[in-house]
Amino acid sequence: MTNKYYEFFCPVKVIAGKAALEHIPYELTGMAAKRPMIVTDKGVRAAGLLEPVIAACEESGLEITSIYDDVPPDSSTTVVRDIAGIYRQEKCDSIIAVGGGSAIDTGKAVNILVSEGGDDIAKYSGAGVLKHPLKPFFVVPTTAGTGSEVTSVAVITDEAKGVKLPFTSSFLLPNAAIIDPRMTLTLPPHITAATAMDAMTHATEAFTCMAKNPLSDAYATAAIKKISHSLLNVMDNPKDSDGRLELAQASTMAGIAFSNSMVGLVHALGHATGAICHLPHGLCMSLYLPYVLEYNLETIREPLGELLLYLEGPEVFAATPASRRAEASISAIRKLRDALYKRCQLPRTLKETGKVTEDQLDHIAEMALDDGSIMFNPKEVTLDDARAVLRRAWA
Amino acid sequence: MLAKRIQPMVFQARRLYVELMFQVMGRALQAVSEVDEKVQNEARALPDGFLFEMMVMPDGSKLIVEHTGQGRFRYHGDKSPRPVDLSIQFKHIAHAFLVLSFQEKTSVAFANDRMLVDGDISYAVRMTRVLNRLESFILPKLIAERAVKEYPADLHLPEKLISAARIYLKVATNFVETVRA
Repeated sequence: MTNKYYEFFCPVKVIAGKAALEHIPYELTGMAAKRPMIVTDKGVRAAGLLEPVIAACEESGLEITSIYDDVPPDSSTTVVRDIAGIYRQEKCDSIIAVGGGSAIDTGKAVNILVSEGGDDIAKYSGAGVLKHPLKPFFVVPTTAGTGSEVTSVAVITDEAKGVKLPFTSSFLLPNAAIIDPRMTLTLPPHITAATAMDAMTHATEAFTCMAKNPLSDAYATAAIKKISHSLLNVMDNPKDSDGRLELAQASTMAGIAFSNSMVGLVHALGHATGAICHLPHGLCMSLYLPYVLEYNLETIREPLGELLLYLEGPEVFAATPASRRAEASISAIRKLRDALYKRCQLPRTLKETGKVTEDQLDHIAEMALDDGSIMFNPKEVTLDDARAVLRRAWA
Repeated sequence: MLAKRIQPMVFQARRLYVELMFQVMGRALQAVSEVDEKVQNEARALPDGFLFEMMVMPDGSKLIVEHTGQGRFRYHGDKSPRPVDLSIQFKHIAHAFLVLSFQEKTSVAFANDRMLVDGDISYAVRMTRVLNRLESFILPKLIAERAVKEYPADLHLPEKLISAARIYLKVATNFVETVRA
């Protein structure tokens, strides 16, 4: 008997497809929620993405009690406390987060405060602090990449202390994730590309890192197949709602995969680069993915080779000798990045970003080495190894 | 029938083994921080007075070490002078036994959800590197390869033997001092 063991958990109800938003009133009523609060940001409101959500609720006689639309890109403990204050003042009984990673994380943190009580979110920071289910919480993602709608983590900045507070609990998972293609139809090309590559990285690392398991593998491969099939079509036809839905579903599936099998060095380097150079997360993922796969190659040859089937399809997979499939998978990812660069100049190297200087590489390497994701990378990473990967990713 | 009778003894033996290994590891952490520069460099990033705990949930065996500054650790046994800053917790004694008997690598135990981290993850990553370095020194290479993700390529036999001898000597001295006290 081997020591193989895994855990898999995803209780989030996924409501996906045409007119998915119109299911929100029914789902809220099913949880005895009558006074929902929307948590979102100015960009989402300006893009007109709130209207279909509000209309869907009002048509069913459900009034949105309060809307907070000022979530910043890096949400803070002050913002969370303020929103919780409004929630209590307006006697809301449920939360609908509409937006990307920041709005969703803010919604999760607000839900902790309004369910557990108090004004100090910092005291709930850490793993396993929450012991009870929270208020009804729904998520409507407006980007197709983060997968936050199916993860049990939130990160909120403590401005006073200048640190990022992590919150981890299965109670943070929303009751439902509503995936409606209308919400991603207007995403600009470079965000579509970067967020899709974020999802691609979630799935690829979930499939090749240490905590991979049969269930997360199934979600990861399905996500990679959808992204490979749909991303370039959507880049060429942004109003292709079927393609948009495919990418949104892929993002959720990749989220389910990586939240159950974790990620590795791509994320460790990406988190450090984001913190030091303020580059968007999805861009960092796209940038580092092939270089990290090359670094890990000999430890992940078999699973990486399997991914060729989902990246390039059965014909290419069958025509490629088994011993060359892992390299072919990396080539397929490089080819996809080249195609995205051609369409929206999504950078492929650190130099192409124009926002990173060569003298920052050492700092990035040092910070990446202390990132939690590095624990799950299949190959041990030393400081010199991290520096070498960064040098390859430089130009 | 026989198996049922033996089972409590097996459980007791496993508990004693885990307890003993925690005592050895705690003392060895203190010792390795006195002999190895790489461990000292890793530990220097921890705040002075930082308390690290490894324990078996819910209230089983534990080891507590403190970073006293300059990259040095001090072993506190299983009693913490104040609330710990970082705790790595095995969910069950069976999981601690798997790791401490080198049937499962520390990194694999994390990946398999056998352990929880309570505290700053970046410090947990750092302490895992320290534990890996320690295991690479004090275990024969064949066993160390089962315990760590990757055996350090730059750790050659003479350095390993000399460091291991110094660590074991310090651990033994510490045990004797504890008994005398």
